[in-house]
Order: sequence, then structure tokens, then C-alpha cells
Amino acid sequence: MRAASESPVRHIIPPEFLEPNWRFWSFVFISILGSLLIIMYKVPVYDGLTDPFYTPTVLILPLVVLFRLTCYAYRKDYHRHLFNHPNSCATDVRLDSKSRGYSGETGFFRIENVHRYFMYTAWAILPFFYYDIYHSIVYTGAITVTLGTVILTVNALAVTFYTFSCHSVRHLIGGYRDCVNCPVNQNRKNSLYRFQSRLNGHHEAIAWTSLIMFVFVDLFIRGMVAGIVPNILLIHMGL
Amino acid sequence: MIDMSSQYIKQETDVLIIGAGGAGMRAAIAAFDSGSSVTILSKSLLGKAHTVMAEGGIAASLANVDPQDSWEVHFADTIEEGVYISNYRMAEILAKEAPDRVRELEEYGALFDRTPDGAIMQRAFGAHTYRRLCHVGDRTGLEIIRTLEDQILHRDIKFFDELYVTKLLKDGDRVVGAMGIKLNTGEFYVFSAKSVIISTGGCGRIYKVTSNSWESTGDGLGLAYEAGAELMDMEMIQFHPTGMVFPPGVKGLLVTEGVRGEGGILLNAQGERYMQRYSPKKMELDARDIVARANYAEIMAGRGTVHGGVYLDITHKGADFIKKKLPSMYKQYMDFAGVDITKEKMEVAPTVHYQMGGIRVDPETAATNVPGLFASGEVASGLHGANRLGGNSLADILVFGKRSGDGASAYSKKASPGRIDESVIAKEIDRVNSFLGKEGLNPHELASKLEENMSENVGIIRDEVKLNKALSIILELKESSKKVAVHGSLKYNKGLLQALELPSMLTAAEAIVRGAIERKESRGAHARSDFPKKNPAMRKNIIYVKGEKGMKLEWRDVPPMPDNLKKLVREEEY
Amino acid sequence: METLKISVYRRDPATEGEGKYVDYEVPMEEGMVVLDAMKYIEKHIDPSLSLRWNCMAGKCGSCSAEINHRPSLMCKARVDSYKGQKITVSPLAAYPLIKDLVTDVSQNWDLLKRIPKFTPKEGLEKPWKISQVDIERSKEFKKCIECFLCQDVCHVIREHNSGYFGPRHVVKAASLDMHPLDALDRSTFMNKDAGLGYCNITKCCTEVCPEEIHITDNAIIPEKERAVNAQYDPIAMIVRARRKGRGNK
Repeated sequence: MRAASESPVRHIIPPEFLEPNWRFWSFVFISILGSLLIIMYKVPVYDGLTDPFYTPTVLILPLVVLFRLTCYAYRKDYHRHLFNHPNSCATDVRLDSKSRGYSGETGFFRIENVHRYFMYTAWAILPFFYYDIYHSIVYTGAITVTLGTVILTVNALAVTFYTFSCHSVRHLIGGYRDCVNCPVNQNRKNSLYRFQSRLNGHHEAIAWTSLIMFVFVDLFIRGMVAGIVPNILLIHMGL
Repeated sequence: MIDMSSQYIKQETDVLIIGAGGAGMRAAIAAFDSGSSVTILSKSLLGKAHTVMAEGGIAASLANVDPQDSWEVHFADTIEEGVYISNYRMAEILAKEAPDRVRELEEYGALFDRTPDGAIMQRAFGAHTYRRLCHVGDRTGLEIIRTLEDQILHRDIKFFDELYVTKLLKDGDRVVGAMGIKLNTGEFYVFSAKSVIISTGGCGRIYKVTSNSWESTGDGLGLAYEAGAELMDMEMIQFHPTGMVFPPGVKGLLVTEGVRGEGGILLNAQGERYMQRYSPKKMELDARDIVARANYAEIMAGRGTVHGGVYLDITHKGADFIKKKLPSMYKQYMDFAGVDITKEKMEVAPTVHYQMGGIRVDPETAATNVPGLFASGEVASGLHGANRLGGNSLADILVFGKRSGDGASAYSKKASPGRIDESVIAKEIDRVNSFLGKEGLNPHELASKLEENMSENVGIIRDEVKLNKALSIILELKESSKKVAVHGSLKYNKGLLQALELPSMLTAAEAIVRGAIERKESRGAHARSDFPKKNPAMRKNIIYVKGEKGMKLEWRDVPPMPDNLKKLVREEEY
Repeated sequence: METLKISVYRRDPATEGEGKYVDYEVPMEEGMVVLDAMKYIEKHIDPSLSLRWNCMAGKCGSCSAEINHRPSLMCKARVDSYKGQKITVSPLAAYPLIKDLVTDVSQNWDLLKRIPKFTPKEGLEKPWKISQVDIERSKEFKKCIECFLCQDVCHVIREHNSGYFGPRHVVKAASLDMHPLDALDRSTFMNKDAGLGYCNITKCCTEVCPEEIHITDNAIIPEKERAVNAQYDPIAMIVRARRKGRGNK
């Protein structure tokens, strides 16, 4: 541990949680409200389409939320835009200052270090998204592909790519190794790691695409329930 | 008498090293590992030395790619490229020890590019018989500096960066220390040492168009010359065939020979691959002096580009290949010229690159003729003769850097501490202070005049008329330099630094010009339009030494090669 | 002749309490960079301007400064890329000022000394054999020219005195850790003693890196993940302990 003289004040509760920061508190408010609404106003499985927020059940939601909250991509976003630590790299418009307390990922945010465990739960939930696609196709007894099926498929792929392009996955599938060809001439190419690294380079974009897809699918189904959005039938084959 | 101790900070060490480039750092490691206390001084920040600009690679006959290669072939290549005035023993040591220094660097943590079976990769380079250059993409110098820096930081080696040495201190004949000014604080430092190594690099900055970094102002040449050391082969200045020509701010900036090594071709404005006329066999990969003169001749004949260069084209190799093999060249052209070298041709022209000459040293220990004074790296002479092989400079700094460290360390173990005369220190502090607080000539302007003079009159092709003109300008500037004055304080004053550098720059320039006048022949990098042929009678070295009435020149025989080495080398042809 | 207006921070801390911006006018040249303008001022207008530069080619990392409040290398900042904007040049604010645009970056050597040095595995056969695939990761980090722009922009160093070594030093540790033949793991040291936990992945370091090293994605996050292995992940800790146990038998 570092010497006490160098050490800043130890924070159990991150100091940024105690600041009168409208961005942060509105985010908290909207999140709580949103969660309550999701729990209170459930959408039924409609026209064979399952809302991704209820896959497999809304009770698992906290694990998924924690996976996203500890994600390296979102960490950048909320530390910058909710907490202004720092809001900008340009030093003249930066809202961070020497007078503010800061604990980084050492105090409460040490929880970021178990990101990989939340990632495991995300993998556990992933098959349900594909089951939902299957269900939307066969629920009538015939083979039915609707616009909703396509949207669910895109959503499932986005979640999969998001989960796969995670930095913790990168570590576990090869990042932890310093040498793949030791001793030399093992002829290992490390292709999976290289492929994943390329996706990982776009992790932030994929993360946001996937999150937006989630909300979009939810709104799409709610729109159908409300009778505003039509679910166009694309393929129908009797068995 | 005033108490001098308040005016400067005193340090003691066994081995003092001036210069923290590749040679200086390698010397420091060697001296420290052989049990001496070591202090290393650097004019710029640690790790910024000109070595970081070296791109192509280190020449070492590892024979990883071409198994026929051996130290004997490397030796012969070096002697032939040096046009038979190199010191044979230095060439022999270099060829034999370079492979060990490369492997040792790898054990220090450097990561070279690899062959498919995992050995160190080697690339082709101008005038090397075989593929011989161990490299790290095109940033080999940076890798050397970082690796050595890491070793220095983890040893108990003292270093002072941004410290400019103004004078070597002597006790009788012997060099027993040095003094200088710490730029970032403005304090004077006096170092008492049992031996001193000069590894300050070259003097490329006395030219206007140069690939050299800011610090290459020939400081070590001036220090050694003033202390009575012999300089040698100063007339031999290497022009690199390919430097950038546009935009003006980076004119002269190096375009690595690696571009040609990887298959780049030279074209004139008419699209002709003119090297077919100048060197049908080796084409673009002939010796640097030949390619540089070819480029110069094409430009002079009016077949150059708008900005006064020729084209270097590597586009046929494809974008992937270029980005992988020459990443920093790609970036350099993109950033500075807005040119995408995977799609467009580069514009290049010859640029001053290297001084083959410098302080004369003993091949075994790197000792100079002054007791206690050693030299290694570009500032030392003998190895490269009349022209340097690409990649031999990085081998040089490692091989002779180590030898100078070992040599100085061995010397300091037998030497007693020297006595430093306080009055000399006081006089030197006065001299530095005297530039301040008065009106006088702007040192930057004098330096610019010198640079323009050298580029114009002591260029790639020389003649008596221009050289005499250059000499008279240099002598005038020497007079003017006494009237230099700067504003500001001692602290981080670049004007003052320029004033302090001027004498060394002028010494280097004077030696180059006097030697160039004296050598009435064309040999290696030294080309005279009035004496276009080699002269067997001048297969000798020119020695420069400070006399009572100024610079004295003396012809000296090249040490004769023993028979076992002689048979490795082709006979010299005239 | 077209001229360029440029505002430069001037202060000698020995004599002046506060700094000031001084406006200069220098002649424009094609392809001009900010360093060219500064050198012009130094040579022709005010030789007392303190300025640090070496290679003029983006290879040595000496001429770091803040241009329009963004940490940049002066030698690579094309004047024409600031079209219409006034150009303001100031020193790196994360470091103690020496004079004008020159700062004292020497604390970095002390930090570099503390990072355990390259330690090759034991019993390697010489000469070493290494695959090209295995040098690529470390090679990216070795592009670092120690310009310390990443250190300067890092809010942890600049605004919060936390003892974090900073991006440059994580890159250094990563370059050694990912050397295929290195025997050590520096991630625990980086987390416990070098304050790696203070980095909150906000990636400004990556944005300013003139060598385009992916500092956060390729150096900091992998070091954090390695630290997780050693300190936070119970499964990884058990696996390692068992492996060790087996190794001892």
C-alpha cells in the first residue's frame, strides 16, 4: 500500500456521489423511474415477440445492468458525462478541478474489478434471446417470420457482439498470455484473440448500438400492444 | 579571493560521460558493470538523443537470413565502403563484435523483428553484400535508446540531463573532469573525474539542410580539440541520398534507406529510373555517396521536381506492405507533407547525414591522444574512413560505446584523482557570464550564416574556389563570434546556448573546409569537381590538431593491414 | 506577406508570480508548424523565449506543449489545421514550470526507476527464438517517444494528487509485461503501488498520443485485467495457487 503521506483521503462513498450534480441525480432519478415502470407496466409476449427486458425474467435485469455498468466502454461515458471526471480532454473547458474529491476505481468503484463475473451472467442469459427468436417463428404452429422476428434477431446479434467484444473476454481468450508461440514454431496464430481484438476496438460503438436496440425493441412491442405499430408478415409457411 | 564554492556545484565520479545517446549510454553501462562509479551528462533530456532518429537498423553478420554472411564479409564491405582509409582494426572489431552487441541488446529487452523461424530478422541495405541489418520496423534507434535508458535507470548511474559542458578540465596533460551549465536551473556544475568519455555525436547542424537533430553541433569535437586531442578525417561528411524537400520546415529530414531496401525506386521528373545510368548493377542500393551524387546530378541537370528533388517511389509494394514495413515513413509523409506514400511518390533530395571523421581514438580502448580522454560514437573517427555503410553507425555506438566504457573504467582504476585549478573554473564561469547583459551580435544569426555557408559552399560536390570562399567566411564568423551577446538570464536560455555552441560549430566547420581543400582528390564522400579522380598518394588520413597559431593539418599513413585481413578485401582500383 | 498571429505563455517563476500571454506576429510559410513559428520568435523577435525542441520530426518528444489547451507536439501541429482560430501556446500544466514553455518532467525518471526492469525467464536457450506474432503487442508500446502528453492530459495527474504513475508508465509496464520472454508480472505492483486503480478509463491519453498507441485499450485495461487475476478474481486466484502447488511438487 502507498505511504500515508502521499495518499489522498480514503473514500468509502465516492465523493462524486455526494456532489450536487444535476446530471448525475437526474440520471439516478430516470433510472429508478424507468426500472419501476418496467416492473409495473409489463408487456405481455405479444404476437410471439418477447420484450428483451423480460428475457428470461425481469428479475435478472440487475445482473445485466451491472454487466453494463461495469463495462469498460460505459465507464468512460459515465465518468466523463455524469461525473465530469473529466468531461473533456480540452483543458480549458474541463469541469474537473483540484478541489474535488476523487477516488477513481479504488473505493466503491472497486466493484469494476469483478466485471468478468457479470460478463459470465450475461453469457448465461444470451441463449434466451435466441430462444425468443425461435419462439417468435414457431409460436403459431407454422413457420412465421415477421418484421418483429427480424428486429429480435438484430437485437440478439447486437447483444452477442457486445458480450463477445468485452475487454474481459479479450483477457480470458488470450490477453493474459505473453507468448503464444513459446517455444517458437508452434505455429499458433492466435486468430480468435486477433479477431476478438478487432471487434473490441469497436466495443464502445457496439455497446451503444446494442443498448439502443434494446430500447427500440421494447418500444416496438409496446407500440404493437398499443396498436400503433404494425408487425409486417414476411414469410409464412404451414407445417 | 572570492569563495568560488558558492558559484558552482561540485560532483565527483570515476568515469564521466558527456553525451547520452546510444554510445554514451552503452559506455555508461560498461563502465558501471566493470565496477566504476559513473556519471552521464546530456545536453537534451534523457532519451531524446539523435540516436532516436536512426531508422534502418544495426549491421551485424548474424547470418540469419543469408547464411553465407560472416564477419569477414562485413569487414570487407566496411573497408571498401570507407575507400581504404578506415582503420582496419576498428573495422575488424566492429565486424566481429556487432553480433554479440545485438544479442546483448536483445537480452536487455529490445525486441527485433523476426524471421519465420524466430531468429532476428535482417534486411538489405545499400552496399552490404548480404542482408545484414537487424531492425525494429523503421524505428531501430528509438528501441536502442529506450532499452539502454531502461538499463541506465535501473543501475546506480548518476545522470544530469539538460547540462551543457563548456570545458574539459585538465591537470597538466591529463583530462580530469569537465564543467558546464545546467540549462534548466542556470547553475554551474564542476565534475571531477578520473576519466572522461566524449560521446556527443556529430556536427550535422552546421549545415542548413541536414537530417540531424538539434543537438548535433559538434560540441565534443570542440571540447576535445581545445583540450589538445587530434581530430581525423573531418573532410568526410556523408550526404544521405534521400531527405525530405518539402515542406520547408522539415527540409532535410531523413527518409530511411529502408525504403530503397524494401524495394523503393528512384525516378526523375521525366519518370526515368536514372540509377540504371549511374549504377546498372546495384541500382538504388549502391553506396550512399554514389546514389546521393546521382540524385544531385539529376536535380542539377534540370530533371528534378518542382521543389528541387527527385522522386522515390514505393507505391508498387502495396499499402499493407508499406504500412507494416515502413510505418513511421508513412506517418512522417502523412503528417508533415500530407502525402500518402502508399499512393503517391515521395520527393527527396540529398541531405547532410553523418560525419565520418572526428576524434582520433585507439581501436582497442577508444582512448584519445590526451591521457584520461576517451571518445566513442559519431564523434570518434577511424572506423568509417571516407564513407560509412548504412547500419554501421548503430553497430559503432554499441561496439565502441562498450569499448570506451571498459577502456575508461580500466584507466580510472589506475589513475589518481586529478587536481582542478580553481582559477580555470572562475575564468570559465566569467566567460559564460560575459555573454549576458550587453549588446552585441545575435548568435542565432551567426549560426544561420554558418549553416548557409556550409550548405552552399561545402556541399556534395566541392571545388577550390567555393572552399576558399567558405573558409574566409568561417574565419570572419570566428571573429564575429567574439562579439556575440544575448538577453535574459542563465536559466534555460537557448540564445546563450547557441553562443556557447558557436565555437565548436566553427571548429568543426573550419576543419571540414581546411581538410577538403587539402585533399585534392575525390574519395568516398569527398568529391571535388576540380579533382574528380582518386589519388593513390592520398590514401592517407588527415589529422587536425590545435597549434599555437590555429589549426594544424598533417597527413598520416593509414595503419597497414595484416596479411590475413588483406586477403579478405579487394585491391583498391584507381 | 501573410502573417500568423500567435499567443505565447511567458513566465519566469524566479521573478514573476503570474504568467502572461504575449502576442507575436510571424511570417507564414507553406506547411508551417507551430514549432517553426516559435523558432522564428526565438531567432528574430525575442531570443529570451525558453523553448525545448530537438528533432523537429515528431521522433524525440521534446517539444510538448498545450496548443489551444490541447496537449500537442509543436513540431507536428500544422498551422493550417487551426483555420480561423487564434493559436495559443502554453506549457504542460501538469508539471512544474521552469520557464516559458519549458517544464520539469524529471519526476518521470523516478517513476520509471520504480517499475521492475525487464527480467528474462530462466534457462532460455541462446540465441533467443521469438515469433513475430509475439512481439507485436510489446512493439506497439515501444513506439512511445516519452513526450508525456498523455501524462499532461490525464485528469488524475493534473487535477487529483493521487499517486497514480500515469499512462506513460502503465504503457512502460505493459511493454515489459507483454514481452514474450519476460518472467515478471507487474500488474500487482501497478495496482498497489502505482495507483492503477485511479484510472477511470476516460481515454484522453489515447486521444492525445502522437504515436497513436491505444494506451487505454491495449495497455491500461489489460494491466487492470491482470491485476484482477492476481487480486480480485477468486477463481483465478485458486487456479493459480493450485498450479503453483503442483509446480512445487
